[in-house]
Amino acid sequence: MHRGKGMKFVGDSRIPAEKKPNIPKDYSEYPGKTEAFWPNYLLKEWMIGAVFLIGFLCFTAVNPVSLEGIADPTDSGYIPLPDWYFLFLYQLLKYEYASGTFELFGNVIIPGLAFGALLLAPWLDPGPERRPSKRPVGTGLMLLATISVIYLTWEAVDQHDWEAAEEQGEILDEDDIQEVDMDHAGYEIYEEQGCIECHGEQLEGSGAAGPNLYDLPYGAEDIANISVEGIGEMPAGMFDGSDEELEIMSEYIEAEGQPNGDDDEDEDEDDEDEEDE
Amino acid sequence: MLQRIYDWVDERMDITPLWRDIADHEVPEHVNPAHHFSAFVYCFGGLTFFTVVIQFLSGMFLTMYYVPDIINAYESVMYLQSEVAFGMIVRGMHHWGASVVIVMMFLHTLRVFFTGAYKKPRELNWVVGVLIFFVILGLGFTGYLLPWDMKAYFATVVALEIAESVPVVGEMIRVLLAGHEELLGAQTLTRFFAIHVFFLPGALLGLLAAHFIMIRRQGISGPL
Amino acid sequence: MSEKEHNVSRRQFLTYTLTGVGGFMAAGMLMPMVRMAVDPVLEVGAEGDMVAVADLDELTEEPQSFPLNFEQDDGWYEAEIEETAWIYLDGDDVVALSPECTHLGCTVNWEANEDEPERFFCPCHFGLFERDGTNVPNTPPTEPLHRYEHEVRDGTVYLGRPQPQV
Repeated sequence: MHRGKGMKFVGDSRIPAEKKPNIPKDYSEYPGKTEAFWPNYLLKEWMIGAVFLIGFLCFTAVNPVSLEGIADPTDSGYIPLPDWYFLFLYQLLKYEYASGTFELFGNVIIPGLAFGALLLAPWLDPGPERRPSKRPVGTGLMLLATISVIYLTWEAVDQHDWEAAEEQGEILDEDDIQEVDMDHAGYEIYEEQGCIECHGEQLEGSGAAGPNLYDLPYGAEDIANISVEGIGEMPAGMFDGSDEELEIMSEYIEAEGQPNGDDDEDEDEDDEDEEDE
Repeated sequence: MLQRIYDWVDERMDITPLWRDIADHEVPEHVNPAHHFSAFVYCFGGLTFFTVVIQFLSGMFLTMYYVPDIINAYESVMYLQSEVAFGMIVRGMHHWGASVVIVMMFLHTLRVFFTGAYKKPRELNWVVGVLIFFVILGLGFTGYLLPWDMKAYFATVVALEIAESVPVVGEMIRVLLAGHEELLGAQTLTRFFAIHVFFLPGALLGLLAAHFIMIRRQGISGPL
Repeated sequence: MSEKEHNVSRRQFLTYTLTGVGGFMAAGMLMPMVRMAVDPVLEVGAEGDMVAVADLDELTEEPQSFPLNFEQDDGWYEAEIEETAWIYLDGDDVVALSPECTHLGCTVNWEANEDEPERFFCPCHFGLFERDGTNVPNTPPTEPLHRYEHEVRDGTVYLGRPQPQV
């Protein structure tokens, strides 16, 4: 920089009065087809960026982001899954030598070594050689790591029950949940017999485990039969109470949990609806 | 007119050297896809940065609607994506952008590794790059919880259990992240929000600045 | 007097002082903030009360899952929490197990896997537990299912908080 005597400044500031010409440097003396970053190369880069952006926006427009039901810490049946880029770590923990007594391996040591090695790669591979073929150990380990990550991700995707995952996350619309009469003897039996586990506190069902029990195409007798013999995925022998209890419960379910009408509840629901709107 | 405004400011501030320092550098032939198509592998770093810019912007705009609270977080996300015009697009940009950043960064890391570009004298820039990698993973991890839906909640439960299994300090790390000694609740959400929106982006900005300054000082590594 | 005669030169002294004052300012700013951030780690947990869960005559030899409700403080929220416990009779003794898998906290179910009768099964990483909660070797969990502290009064089973059984 030009300093010292003879320099002129703008007013009493430290801004030099002499201006440098505002032109790009000349790179013609550089080897090969070197070009200026600004504006020559940047324009090309931005054209690639624009194409990339269009693709990205199109993808975004046709792929709405899923939002599952609101977090419910008490939903014990939920099978969790991390976002896809953590799947390889998640999958690692399923293997025998990365879990159980070897838990430390899977949770801490293997990821720690892998990421530690990545961080310290310049010192683990300090030779001056840059070509991958001239440093086979480093290249081999990196290839191995890359393949393992891809394989583990693949395995995790493959082993996951995506249909069940979709069902379990389904948003239960609040309007679909009906208030049931929880003081009725039928409800007590419903609860005692464990029907509540899969079919929910309000007979609303719970995603993958069991459907809701509203508006069933069965009469009370059919419901009683299903309770004892099972249907579809529901195993037989779920009910083991007396015949009398069975009758009370199946009539209760047939009435959709409201054997005595439900005047008060309806009003409450209407109020909520108005607030929502 | 614009030129006159520029000249007026330049006379008082001498801004030309400021931006010419950033703009004036050469791009060698071997990284320029216009000359060698195979040089497209050198684009991944730039695309990572571009997507990070998208993330910063879309994230800033999402906070106009988002509330980090266990009662309202879910409702606010639901509202912004179903009621607000283009809400789903902006949330989509942030959501899918996160995946794109990870993919691009992974490819960029592989490119740098297999071209041996981290060798002397560029060791420090590699380290900063890997730190950026960790920060991005941290952003992905903390951001996943924020919508407070089922998958967000239970994925984080599992992640915190993993953190807890670290010997000696595991329990402490878990509580520090969760903000509560046993559950994952209101204080976890505010913590993750703060980390996702302030702490990690701040760290990311600093690291990115260091990354770029080092590239400019050392220049792009030569052809193989 | 030249600077070399001093043990600590003038410039060194200034640098040390500057570092000291800078350190003081940084510490002064950060101390309250960090203390606030780590507060949950240093907080001492409160003892929970026993909660009535089931009647003694409801229990069988077969583990059944019972809901239990308790008050929970979650920062500025106080919530009524519903958990479940697997409860069964072992002779005259009541056993109440937490359904939380000791591997990564998923939820186990009694005989949920058809190939593994008489065992608790965790769908996440295929963890297995015996009837008494002991983890089956060579599956991911490393410790038995946690056991609820329990108490039987007047034919009613009361549960406390789950404790590791090691």
